[in-house]
Amino acid sequence: MLRSGARGATAGLLATLAAGFLALAATETQAQRRQKAPPPVAREAPHTRAEEVKRLQQPGARESVQADVSARNVAVTSSFNGIEIVIFGAVDNSQQPSAESGYYDVLIVVEGVPGRIVARRKNNVAGLWLNTASATFDLVPSYYAIASTRPIDEITTEEFRASHGVGFQHLRFTPAFGQTQALSTEDLKQFREAIIRLKEKQGLYIQDNFRVAFIGKSLFRATIELPANVTVGPFETRVYLFHQENLLSQYTVRLNLEREGVERYLHRFAFGYPTLYGLMTVTIAVAAGFLASTMFRKAAH
Amino acid sequence: MHFYLPVAEMSANVAVLLAMGGAVGFLSGLFGVGGGFLMTPLLIFSGIPPAVAVGTESAQITASSVSGAFAQWRRRNVDFLMGAVLLAGGILGSVFGVQLVGSLRRLGQFDFFVAACYVTFLGVIGTLMMIESLSTMRKARGGLAVGGRRSGQHNWIHGLPLKLRFHRSKLYISAIPPFLIGIFVGLLAAIMGVGGGFIMVPAMIYLLRMPTNIVVGTSLFQIVFLTAATTVLHASQNQTVDVVLAVLLMVGGVIGAQFGALAGERLKAEQLRFLLAALVLMVGLRFAWQLIAPPADLYSISSPVGGA
Repeated sequence: MLRSGARGATAGLLATLAAGFLALAATETQAQRRQKAPPPVAREAPHTRAEEVKRLQQPGARESVQADVSARNVAVTSSFNGIEIVIFGAVDNSQQPSAESGYYDVLIVVEGVPGRIVARRKNNVAGLWLNTASATFDLVPSYYAIASTRPIDEITTEEFRASHGVGFQHLRFTPAFGQTQALSTEDLKQFREAIIRLKEKQGLYIQDNFRVAFIGKSLFRATIELPANVTVGPFETRVYLFHQENLLSQYTVRLNLEREGVERYLHRFAFGYPTLYGLMTVTIAVAAGFLASTMFRKAAH
Repeated sequence: MHFYLPVAEMSANVAVLLAMGGAVGFLSGLFGVGGGFLMTPLLIFSGIPPAVAVGTESAQITASSVSGAFAQWRRRNVDFLMGAVLLAGGILGSVFGVQLVGSLRRLGQFDFFVAACYVTFLGVIGTLMMIESLSTMRKARGGLAVGGRRSGQHNWIHGLPLKLRFHRSKLYISAIPPFLIGIFVGLLAAIMGVGGGFIMVPAMIYLLRMPTNIVVGTSLFQIVFLTAATTVLHASQNQTVDVVLAVLLMVGGVIGAQFGALAGERLKAEQLRFLLAALVLMVGLRFAWQLIAPPADLYSISSPVGGA
C-alpha cells in the first residue's frame, strides 16, 4: 500500500518511537543505575609523607591518625557527572608489622549537609495509585557514606556506633515538628526506612565494608563516589582508627562541593532573579525560532 | 557527552536530548502540531521531574511556533482581535494553572495530576481523531465526496451578549466563548506543558466556526504569546524552567521540524490524522499504565517545595 519512500520512513519512525516509549517504561529504574568506575590502581602513594611518618615513629608512643582527601574543593560545572574522591591517611607510630597484618581498623564516614526531606507513600485508591500519606524529616544527610577495613559491627561497639551516628540505623534524622503528628510510630519507622532505601538506590547512601585498604604499615586509602545527583555543599569526612574495638584516634577533614562557572551563574540567576531569568529564556526561545527559520529558508533556496 | 542541568539539578546525556528534540520536531513538522504533548511525556518518562518538564517545554514551544506564527502573519492569516481575546483568557488561565502546579507540588499530587490530565485529554482527542480519520478514509475509498465546512449555520453561541466583529474571521459573535476557550487552553498549557493547539483548533473550527486558514494562523499567534507568558510565570512562581534543557530541545526540535514538514507533504491528510491519532492514543495509554500499574516502590522522596 505504501507508495513513497517517505511514507515508509514515517511508519518506521513511528514504530521506533513506539518501541522507545515501551523501552522507557521498562528501563526507567535501570536508567538511574550508575556505572561503577573501575577500581583505582594505586597511584601516587605519598612517599615523602610515608617516610616522614617512619622517621617520627617511636616505639610505645600512642598512635594517631591523619588524613586528607584528593580534592578539597570540587567544582560542579556543566560537565559534572559525579566524582570519585580518594581519602588517604597515615597512622603515626604504627605498631603493625605490615599492611596485611590487620592490626588496625579504619572507619571513614562522609556526611553531606543535613536537610529536610519529604517521604510519600502511594496507595491504591479506586484502582489508581496516588500518594496518600507523607512524612517530613529534618536533619536528613544529603549524602552519607561509610567505608571501613572490615564490617563495622566487627570493628566497633554498639555504643560507639550509636554515639557517633555510624551506620544507617543510627542516623539522627527526626520527624519534623508539626508535620507528622498523625502518623503512628510504626508508620514513621517505615518512612524512615524508605528514605534510607531510596537514598541507597540513588547512590547517595553507601556502606562498603572492605573499601579501606592499608598500603603500607601506616598508610591507608579509600575511594568514595559522589554521584551526579549529589547536593552541593560542605561534606564532613571523619576518619576513625581502631584496634580491637578501641578507638585510638580520630581526624576530621572537610571537602566542599560548589557550583562554578556558567553553572553557578545560571543557578543563581534562576533562583535569585526568577522573573528576569524567565524573560531571558523566552528571549532565547524567540531568537532561536527566528534564527532557525531564516537559516532553513536560505538553505532551501 | 553529559551536561549538568542547572535547574533540574541532574546530569543528562546531550545526544539523547538532541535526538528526543529531533524526533518530536520531525513529528510536529510532519503533522503540523506543536509537539508539546509528545515532548513533555518523553521528558517525564526519561526521568526529568514532571514540573521541570512542563515549565521547560513551554519555552521550547515558544521557539518552535514563533517562526510559523510570523509566516502566518505575513500571509495575513491572523485574526488579531480573536487572538487577543483568546490570549486574554489564556493568560488568566495560565496564572491559575501555574499557581495550581505550585500547590499540587507542595501536596505531592502533581505527578498524579499531570498523568491524569494526559490520560483524559489524549484519550478523548485521540479517539475522536481516530474515528474521524477512519470514516474519512472509508468514504474516500467508497468514492463519496468528502464533506467540507458547513457554514452559515447558527448555534447557541450566537445568542450570547458582548458581541464583537471579527473582520478576518468574517464573524460577528460574542467574545465570551473565545475568552472561555482561552482560559481553558491557558490552564492546560500551564499544567500539561503543551501549546494547547489540540484543543484550540477543533474549538475554533467546530464551536466558533472560523475559516480553517485563519484558525491555524490565529492559534499559532496565541500559542507564541501564551507559552512565552507561561514560561515567565513558571520561572518566577515555581522555578521550574531549565534554560540549558530548553536550548538543547530547541536545537533538536527546529532541525527535526524542517525534515518532518518535507515528509508531511507526501502524505494524505486523513492518513496523517490517523497516524497522529495512533500516536496520541499511545502516549495516553502509557500514562494510564503509570496510574494503574502497581508501582515498583510505594515510597518516594523529595526535597520540600516552596519552603513547606
